[in-house]
Amino acid sequence: MTDGAGRTKPCPTVVIGLGNPLRGDDGVGVRLVQALAQRALPADVEVLDGGTQGLGLVTLLEGRQRAILVDAAQVGRAPGQFVRFRLGEARLPGSDGRLSIHAAGLSDALRLAEALGILPEEVIVFGVQPAAAEWDRGLSPEVKAALPRLLEAVLAEVAVGG
Amino acid sequence: MSAVNLNINVHHLTRVEGHGDIVIDVKNGELVKCEWQVVEAPRFFEAMLRGRPYTEASHITSRICGICSVGHATASLRATERALGVEVSEQTELLRKLMFHGEMIDSHVLHVYMLVAPDFFGVGSVLPLASSHPEVVLRALRIKKLAGDLCALIAGRHTHPIAMTVGGFTHLPTVKELLAFRGRLVAAREDMDETIALLKTLPWPEFERETEYVSLQKDDEYAFIDGRVATTDGFTYDLSDYRQVTNEYLVPHSTAKWAKHNRESYMVGALARFNNNYDQLHPRAKVAAEELGMKPLVTNSFLNSAAQAIEMVHCVEDAILIIDKLVDQGIKEEPLYQFQGQGGEGVGACDVPRGILFHNYIIDDDGLIQGANCVIPTNQNHANIQADMQALLPQVIDRPQEEITHIMEMLVRAYDPCISCSTHLLNVEFV
Repeated sequence: MTDGAGRTKPCPTVVIGLGNPLRGDDGVGVRLVQALAQRALPADVEVLDGGTQGLGLVTLLEGRQRAILVDAAQVGRAPGQFVRFRLGEARLPGSDGRLSIHAAGLSDALRLAEALGILPEEVIVFGVQPAAAEWDRGLSPEVKAALPRLLEAVLAEVAVGG
Repeated sequence: MSAVNLNINVHHLTRVEGHGDIVIDVKNGELVKCEWQVVEAPRFFEAMLRGRPYTEASHITSRICGICSVGHATASLRATERALGVEVSEQTELLRKLMFHGEMIDSHVLHVYMLVAPDFFGVGSVLPLASSHPEVVLRALRIKKLAGDLCALIAGRHTHPIAMTVGGFTHLPTVKELLAFRGRLVAAREDMDETIALLKTLPWPEFERETEYVSLQKDDEYAFIDGRVATTDGFTYDLSDYRQVTNEYLVPHSTAKWAKHNRESYMVGALARFNNNYDQLHPRAKVAAEELGMKPLVTNSFLNSAAQAIEMVHCVEDAILIIDKLVDQGIKEEPLYQFQGQGGEGVGACDVPRGILFHNYIIDDDGLIQGANCVIPTNQNHANIQADMQALLPQVIDRPQEEITHIMEMLVRAYDPCISCSTHLLNVEFV
């Protein structure tokens, strides 16, 4: 959603799917927002494909009240299971203060936003346990099977705050 | 080299897009090993594309890199268009250049401010910098947002350029949008000036090693898309002869392919473009170069980051000129290309933020991709990074080990290497 100058008017709520669809289950966040974009959503909700831009995410978070982030994550569950948590309920190890925008794009972007005081009031993460994140254009059967449940959970989340 | 023992092993260098290791071993003053080891997962580029319709190639390849998605998409489209004999309109060319400038600024600002600047401020990363110098980091984000919005204005959305297609665009900006964006670009000049002023104060390490600088080149503009391949050793090639430049080979200590041309190694990227194409820079970018004391031939690889800042100035100015041209001509709906049932082979080349990128496709008469090759800029720089390390080491060997490690890390980071930037898995620990 942009104004006449291509300036993003920050919608109060943003849903960002992260990851790389060429890396198997790493692409689950992007697949999710592609499906989400087909559904009817409240007008104050923006859906974005965050890809793998690392620190660039900060500019997508700025000015929001609520950010819902969907990403493949090591959450210690069986492949395809996902965990919803608020920022602060879990530790997201980045690079121990040393920054690599490769390995921990999301956690470092969140820390940078926090350091700059532009973190949204509410940050909710849906972390989906991947089966595999190798070079492969498809999702694993486990994660593919979980997509409808994940979509309903994110839709419910959007509706609650909306 | 003095009689010292030194053993440096920087495993998975931070602030580099991917994984690379610096390994230095000196025994009794004798250099045993000084290597740049790259542990890149094989990309299966060809396997990803083989058998797919040509229409999918740019969308698939734009995902190879989260930062150079426009660059990959553009090189991919040019390869496809050459294979199928598709001519693109001037409007399409201008819009592609405009997006390309957006991505160039986006990538350069991230590298200069978030990855390189912390070294000079003596902090480990951009996070402490955000606390100690928030105005610097906020300026970087302002520039980044401008660049991202420029891409989104043309491409239809952030990150992945879905509106770009073979022969043209599926979505076009309006004249009104372009004019409004022009105002933002003019306003960004202040941030550009501040960027150059900041870089002027940084204590760039002293280091000179001349190498061969390779980039695209055009007579009438600072080349980012198309043109010929040119080198500072005086060679020029048609794009279709790119393999004569890249001469890819394998080395035992790296899973990525390396490249060489006239010398043991060559360099691609902002400094290579600056050295080859200085004359075509916008006058304001030349002023910025003068401020930074840079004029070809610049042979200090650390200054690749400074060349990136000069290119940011160029891209802002050229984007303004392109918008003026587009507004002048008016934005027209143009018919999209229809497949004519005849395949072929084509090479597309773009000089993306990290250097020259080649895509090469063979498409059959059903429009399916039968063969694909991709040579990324970082692979072309690996041999040069190692040659630089080997030249720098004797000059710094008497310093404390931490200092040597630090300057070697800075050297590698100056190349802005992108080794395997296409995956990131979040680690979560519940407390």
